[in-house]
Amino acid sequence: MNSIAFIFKTAPHGSSSGREGLDALLATAALSENIGVFFIGDGVFHLVDAQQPNVIYARDYITTFKLLELYDIENVYACQQSLMMRGIGEQAMGCLSLMALPLGNLQQQLSRYDKMINF
Amino acid sequence: MRYALLVTGPAYGTQNATSAWMFAKALLKAGHSIISIFFYQEAVNNANRLISPASDEHNLINEWVKLSREENIALNICVSAALRRGVVDQDHAQDGLYNFHPQFNFSGLGELATSLLTCERVVQF
Repeated sequence: MNSIAFIFKTAPHGSSSGREGLDALLATAALSENIGVFFIGDGVFHLVDAQQPNVIYARDYITTFKLLELYDIENVYACQQSLMMRGIGEQAMGCLSLMALPLGNLQQQLSRYDKMINF
Repeated sequence: MRYALLVTGPAYGTQNATSAWMFAKALLKAGHSIISIFFYQEAVNNANRLISPASDEHNLINEWVKLSREENIALNICVSAALRRGVVDQDHAQDGLYNFHPQFNFSGLGELATSLLTCERVVQF
């Protein structure tokens, strides 16, 4: 079976891409543990803590990312540079356990996967 | 090689779905096989049989249907993404109204996951 990288690169709530990406990710996680999750570019906004999407009539799917641990998906990475450029420091981030990596290392991790899809 | 295609763009408005269709035809011509065409996100709109392009314009829905019939390829639409966007089949009809083209079939994300895990190549549009 292929290993698969799911890449989140759009900001949450403004489009449904992240939410539908997470749905696809969880459906795949039910069949395989060989999955990597990457937050790159505006996708790192998924990692900001205490979001209140209900105020704009959007669903709070961000909390659902916590299911990743239950599915034994441990390879979760964020782009350090994207976080820095958007002013998202460690104290602003939620409790999702992940590794923030510089670009070179991020590319190295990505290259370990057979397939990638973007959301 | 065994390909899986993931389409995420609508029939009209962006080029994604047209590119996917052209790529699918090119794959078959080159002797590859397509194990799955999965329509997700805005691409569920490709199954809307009421889409009515001007008469001198390309009708992508008809082309998908033709490709599916001639090559015996399933056109899988994510049901939850479709219902949220008003692409509705007879089973989910409201006041007798539905717009789902019968050549497509409602499918789940498990189908997408299986194709991602088992294909030799996946190409996302």
